[in-house]
Amino acid sequence: MLFNQDESEKIARAKKDWEEGLLKRQLERFGMKEPPSRTYTPLDLRDWDFLEKVGFPGQYPFTSLEYPTPLPERLPDTASPAIFLAGAYAGYGTVEDTRDLWRAQRRRGANVAFDLPTQLGYDSDDSISKGEVGKVGIAVDTLRDFEVLYEFLDGVTTMDQSASNFTINAPCNIILAMYIAVAEKKGVDPAKLRGTPQNDILKEFVARGTYIFPPEPSMRMVRDTITYCTKNLPLLNPISICGYHIREAGATAAQTMAFTFADAIAYVQLGIDAGLDVDEFVPRFTFLNFSGSMDFFLEIARARAARRIWAKIMKERFKAKNPRNWVISGLGAAVEGRYCYTTQRPINNLARGIIMGVASALSGGRPSGGVPYDEPLGLGHSYEGTQLSVDAARIMRYEAQLGEVTDPLAGSYYIESLTDEVETETWEIINKIESMGGAVEAIRSGWMQREVAKSAYHYQREVESGQRVMVGVNRFTGENELTVTTNRLVPHPYDPKKREGAEARQIANLAKVKRERDNQRVQSTLKALYQVAKDEKENLIPYFLDCVKAYATLGEMCNALRDVFGEWEPVGIL
Amino acid sequence: MKEGRKIRVVIAKPGLDGHDRGAKVLALGLRDEGMEVIYTGLRQTPEKIVQAAIQEDVDVVGLSCLSGAHNELFPRVVELLKSEGKEDCLVMGGGLIPEEDVPKLKEKGIAAIFTSGASIHTIAEYIRQNVKT
Repeated sequence: MLFNQDESEKIARAKKDWEEGLLKRQLERFGMKEPPSRTYTPLDLRDWDFLEKVGFPGQYPFTSLEYPTPLPERLPDTASPAIFLAGAYAGYGTVEDTRDLWRAQRRRGANVAFDLPTQLGYDSDDSISKGEVGKVGIAVDTLRDFEVLYEFLDGVTTMDQSASNFTINAPCNIILAMYIAVAEKKGVDPAKLRGTPQNDILKEFVARGTYIFPPEPSMRMVRDTITYCTKNLPLLNPISICGYHIREAGATAAQTMAFTFADAIAYVQLGIDAGLDVDEFVPRFTFLNFSGSMDFFLEIARARAARRIWAKIMKERFKAKNPRNWVISGLGAAVEGRYCYTTQRPINNLARGIIMGVASALSGGRPSGGVPYDEPLGLGHSYEGTQLSVDAARIMRYEAQLGEVTDPLAGSYYIESLTDEVETETWEIINKIESMGGAVEAIRSGWMQREVAKSAYHYQREVESGQRVMVGVNRFTGENELTVTTNRLVPHPYDPKKREGAEARQIANLAKVKRERDNQRVQSTLKALYQVAKDEKENLIPYFLDCVKAYATLGEMCNALRDVFGEWEPVGIL
Repeated sequence: MKEGRKIRVVIAKPGLDGHDRGAKVLALGLRDEGMEVIYTGLRQTPEKIVQAAIQEDVDVVGLSCLSGAHNELFPRVVELLKSEGKEDCLVMGGGLIPEEDVPKLKEKGIAAIFTSGASIHTIAEYIRQNVKT
């Protein structure tokens, strides 16, 4: 209770006087039917409780911040755009092409983009892969490809001193097996391996599209990752639970959170159903960000609500005992929505990125300049775009001193009301999903997919009607407007010749592996995989390891699984 | 176009690309513009798309690809439509199509390319003006 009864009534009377006096006269004077902006007062927080709703940084319910203070900055002043680009999600062509690129960038860790055939469990020589090999990432068919890729670390550092992020979902455990096998070949103890495979298959059904098998066997394999990592790979995060893609596919802020948290609930339940204690495996659960929008205040509220909601889920539903496990680990703060960037008058995207950087700072995050302004213009951010983005973050941080106060809008009548509103809306959707039987059921029936499509369509209608303004796209587009341009220097256009020639080269690489491997051994490991896949209780990762070490291909392994699990054929998604 | 018959459109995702926001939004939008729209879902081969186009007796085939495989897949659909005797179809494309690829695609029979920033209404109007009667 922020204010006592008398105070509240006093304010309520004063508000009425203001509305019937000053406000009314203002509206009349300027011929306005409605005030162009809203006003919030203590009346909006009548029943609000600070300790219940906000508390202190690093303490339940974590509304302001996951930790007692922001974490120390690790990058030196001498960090150049090249350093930022070296950490970026990347990969193209054959593993040789990407290995050479990463060597040139002096990378000490991997942030791997795989091509679509790899993500979908098809070999480079499969007819369905034609035209797609090496286009959106590297082509990986066998262990040989991973061995070549990790040559980028030779002479730089060892695999136990390096971390790898794999944006891989359906065939995640196969890629994990390759990672383990390469480490073993290099004499590195796999127990020291660090990194994060994305492994969030549920969002693939909803928003990203790289699913292979139906939901249940897909979830079984995520269970495999959780139990295997908890037991054998203690430094590896088994999953990166993603709201980002769901938002970018068109879901609203509340939908994004609800769908993501419903997915997360399903993943946590996997570990519990496998007999693990929640405090054993949840420490390694990570979240990717929730993407964003240009709704500045909404995004701040959303981030604060996200922390509170996950804390409640972990504490009250899953009864985690260690308070550290009530914390949403990953980027909970506001970030930009990349779909908000425009190809029209692209330098305006810098303004958009900065606005969301401010939102991030005001929601307990680190101010960021956003993704470089030229994101929509094609693959590869320019040096200029990267420098501008990095400097914008520095200006926000050091000149505007936006990190000086943690969650400075805490207590704001507006922001606290909005945070509560977003939280309530999110819980309604989570509860609706739970009443359907949970995330897997909501996905199997196509409900989540239809909701995302409806929201995406609604957004488009708003843009086309002009209700949602996009400067330079649907408003302020006259002849007097200028398109400001710069000379972009994109440091690594993925070499177009290499990119075009990759498919042929990789098919040749694959043919060589198939000729030189022990094909009998391959067949027997695949047979064992096929048999054991039928038993839901079995963990497939040791069998993937056997297949992978025999140089079975990704496609061969996935085809064995397709024979057991079938392929997912979505219906009723639109 | 037969009197009173709604324009029939199939919106397809050829190739392996899984980004379907634009395809779905357009499918819903063209329905609201009074057309009959079939959305094929992801991972359609050119053969499957042409089969759907024939089965559903469509006037328009809309192809969406964001993975860079459009130069192979879009012309292949046109080729197959021709060889199956369905030459009266208007074939259009969208997704992530670099400007420099557009002229060659048009040469190969893709009537128009609509990418980011295009409005549903503009696309619907184009279809109404150009659909083969």
